[in-house]
Amino acid sequence: MSYQVLGISAFYHDSAAALVRDGEIVAAAQEERFTRKKHDPAFPERAVNYCLEEGFIDPSDLDAVVFYDRPLLTYDRALKNALQMGDAGRDQFLRSTRSLLGQKVHVEDIVRRCLGSLGRANELLLCEHHVAHAASAFFPSPFEESAILTIDGVGEWAALTVGRGDASGIEILREIDYPHSLGLLYSAATHHCGFKVNSGEYKLMGLAPYGEPRFVQEIRENLIDLKDDGSFRLNTDYFGFLTGDAMTNTRFEELFGTRRRPPHEPISRHQMDVAASFQVVIEEAVLAVARFAKAETGSRHLVLAGGVALNCVANGRLLRAGVFADLWIQPAAGDAGGALGAALQASHINDGARPRPARPGGDGQLGSYLGPAFSDREIRAFLDRRALPFEHIPELDERSERIARTLAEGKVVGFFSGRMEFGPRALGARSILGDPRRADTQSKMNLQIKFRESFRPFAPSVLEEEAGDHFELDRASPYMLLVADVRKEHRLPRDRSKWRSEGEDMMPIINEIRSHLPAITHVDFSARVQTVRGDTNPAFHRLLEAFGEQTGVGVVVNTSFNVRGEPIVCTPADAFRCFMRTEIDLLVLEDYLLWKDAQSPSDEDEAWKARLIADDEGESAVRAPSGSGPVPVFGDPAIAVEAGRIWREELAGAVGGRYFAARPDAGLPTYYLSREGAGVEGLRTARLGSANAIEEALLELWSDARDEGLRAAAPALAALAMRLKSLDTQDGELPEFVYTLF
Amino acid sequence: MRQQFQYHPRVGYHFVPGLKARIPREGGGGYLVATNAQGFRCEHDFTPTRAAGSRRILLFGDSFTAGDGVANAQRYGDIVETMVEDLEVYNFGIPGTGPDQHWLAYQTFATALDSDLLVIAVLVENVRRVAARFRYYKDDLGRRVCYAKPYFLLGPEGPELHNVPAPREPIDEASLPLEDRDAIDRVGRFPRLNQLLMKTGTVGLAHRITGHSSYPQYDHPDDPDWRLMSRVLAEWIRSHPGPVLMTPLPLYYHIEEIQDPAPYQARFRELAEEVGCHFHDPLPDLLTHSMDERKRFRFGVDVHYTPKGHSALASSLAPVVRNLLDAPA
Ligand SMILES: [Fe+2]
Repeated sequence: MSYQVLGISAFYHDSAAALVRDGEIVAAAQEERFTRKKHDPAFPERAVNYCLEEGFIDPSDLDAVVFYDRPLLTYDRALKNALQMGDAGRDQFLRSTRSLLGQKVHVEDIVRRCLGSLGRANELLLCEHHVAHAASAFFPSPFEESAILTIDGVGEWAALTVGRGDASGIEILREIDYPHSLGLLYSAATHHCGFKVNSGEYKLMGLAPYGEPRFVQEIRENLIDLKDDGSFRLNTDYFGFLTGDAMTNTRFEELFGTRRRPPHEPISRHQMDVAASFQVVIEEAVLAVARFAKAETGSRHLVLAGGVALNCVANGRLLRAGVFADLWIQPAAGDAGGALGAALQASHINDGARPRPARPGGDGQLGSYLGPAFSDREIRAFLDRRALPFEHIPELDERSERIARTLAEGKVVGFFSGRMEFGPRALGARSILGDPRRADTQSKMNLQIKFRESFRPFAPSVLEEEAGDHFELDRASPYMLLVADVRKEHRLPRDRSKWRSEGEDMMPIINEIRSHLPAITHVDFSARVQTVRGDTNPAFHRLLEAFGEQTGVGVVVNTSFNVRGEPIVCTPADAFRCFMRTEIDLLVLEDYLLWKDAQSPSDEDEAWKARLIADDEGESAVRAPSGSGPVPVFGDPAIAVEAGRIWREELAGAVGGRYFAARPDAGLPTYYLSREGAGVEGLRTARLGSANAIEEALLELWSDARDEGLRAAAPALAALAMRLKSLDTQDGELPEFVYTLF
Repeated sequence: MRQQFQYHPRVGYHFVPGLKARIPREGGGGYLVATNAQGFRCEHDFTPTRAAGSRRILLFGDSFTAGDGVANAQRYGDIVETMVEDLEVYNFGIPGTGPDQHWLAYQTFATALDSDLLVIAVLVENVRRVAARFRYYKDDLGRRVCYAKPYFLLGPEGPELHNVPAPREPIDEASLPLEDRDAIDRVGRFPRLNQLLMKTGTVGLAHRITGHSSYPQYDHPDDPDWRLMSRVLAEWIRSHPGPVLMTPLPLYYHIEEIQDPAPYQARFRELAEEVGCHFHDPLPDLLTHSMDERKRFRFGVDVHYTPKGHSALASSLAPVVRNLLDAPA
């Protein structure tokens, strides 16, 4: 009898669902791909629908449904954070109360309503946030045992954990709790440089190689106290997130000598240098934590997850440092991957002593091609309904040669093949491809297809067997999570001191030709490499072979199949829409080739473009901070009044309590916290359907005598939760300060 | 969401073959859809000859027969298959269509197949669809798009087929001549008003007070829409070489006793007598259930049959089918 479990992550950023059967991943997808709303935080109804479709099961056939977070623990942190701030925390309390007690606490009801069933378990299981990250990193990895590192903004309390995994499961050994967080530190820098928190971190990383790390000392001396063992504390005096206004405050700006880069202002050398400096600090920190993990576990391997694990530059450095013989990083390292990790953890707990499947030579992530595929008949039905002109080339070799020739002619190809990727990177299933040898590929793909001007080069996809010929890379990088340098013999000489003196204009630097593959070579000769194997994506592999046969280079430019501000395409209809809106020359939908010049012009209005421009994510412009301003208006003003009363009257006794260390304490030998007991508890259950149940759970959480004030407030908070339940509390866009809360 | 249907020049459309999809239901949840290699929501691939000892029904109908809202196994056709010994039911249900397109599907896909009984299930609402030449559907983004459909007009010799091959691409309603705009199936006489009444739970009351009939087409044998549908059915039934069972499927109006079923019951009975086919009206059996149960035969605003509705219908139909199949030829 197989054991089937559905994992869900929701209500914060990039919701997702995953289906695991007997420890093997059946399906995983992000909600944004279906709703077409980037980073959609709503309950992942459509992603859940897809997972059930892929498994072809009804919700009642599930053995369990598991959520990737323990909402009451998160609420505990949000409340204690607000209390620590005294009166200044009142606004934050009101906002977090609405979002948490109004929605997350009732997650069991929401899941039950959406699915109509919680499976045979008949209760929602809750998996701790970082346990979900750890499970997502260890269980699909190719290693029998491994050290585990999870690093993100924050989960419930933890922002970093060190653990280990083996046949008996995962164990968390140490953690570092909110507000001390490498993710929040990096997000603060992202915010300071004018990028959007939670998605712009990638841009900060891409900007770093242009800069000089001249602020490293300021950061190490003022913002973060990093011990030799990798543990750290932030100096929260420099950050805005504790009071919930923004990621940074004026002290932060004073430290760097400038205000935050405001909307629409071009990127200057200052931001490049800030980016370079934070990159150095993050790398140092990650390296130190990794050395600690090595010492604690003695393992030869390391697995990583959490948003910071998407920093592939740091990963590359970690690999080169040789602390561990090998690394594996969960490709959906952000919170979307929490859905997968929660499901894997539940599956493991059910399996008990049964060892996880052996994975000789490969991992269990299936190339991260875990989303929907569309059959030949489905694509044909789509083309027929629209009467679209196409060429049908069912034979793989012939088709691959044809596409390769098109790429070699300098044309841009939208490539739609097999199951959609899970995680933020396009890996050849929903990708836009170009010729990496051409100097103009980068600007053409940026301006005519992505509608942006970017300082970031594109990523290369390379035949795994040929990767060492082009890059200084001695192992596979199937998920585009490692950065490697272009081999020395391919680099072109350049004078770095010259461009430092050329003023603020980045364009000559960006467009400089740096190697035989200019479109993918970064200013420091690095490249974010994807190595491609024949067994996980045969069509993409064959295409790379064909391109190699024709050009001598088995490498293509690979960027995600979407335009700016839009999620990666999911269906043939999404792909066709993107194709028609851009200057992609050829759309490949599995066996079908659609040439742009054969299509009738799109009759869609241009309004979508205006929307995209408006949704710019700070590459050249940035939105005004959204976290500041007055307390949000509740749907029912009486709720705000009630919450205010609870703050004043019920919580009064707890105000002024100190719940976490806000500043570094140089006297301490380490900042790591030990996990009590076995490290990882079993999964909890939600069971918060009534005021009594919420009250009981809060009282249990606050049983500590020190939390007398909180205990007194528990009945009022439980009653408020029940009142909020009746309101529609689905938030569209969450303000970025929420990042620190949930 | 996956595209469920594929264009067909003669039939209009049918399911995409080999589809495995979960279709979200309005108001939460979803249902699994599996289609066969021929593009019908049937658990069997269609083969011309049946296995020794087995009996076969060809079942035609719309979304109530195809099973919108429920899994394949929960549909009345599939339940009848389990209730009657040695039976296979070939389900040709096509959502959003009427007997005119069902007849075209029969001509295109079914005439070469052996069978013991042809079952034509006609949802009472279909009288309007047969008269329509255009119909609105939702595209992948949930936008309403208008498609032309194949249709019949009554000529001196009987029904004459028009609009074949049906145009593939959507029609802009604004570009249609005014007289054609009347031929758009807008799904109900007063769709918006009805939706509102359904949401507020007052549809029954409103219909009773106003004496509203949703299908006045059945009031007179000479009504042009009924004439068209009945002639299409008559020609189809007469063309089939084997026995035919015609069964009108009631809507909640009739199941929940909101409107008088007598007119449609009379029309279908007269037609069956005229063409000499078998006839089964399941409504009396359905009315033996309590009103509370009957209200659970539909989802809510989505009026398709729930698994309970399908099950009740199957219980009414199975004995009739068994008798017909067991009867000496
Ligand atoms: Fe996280």
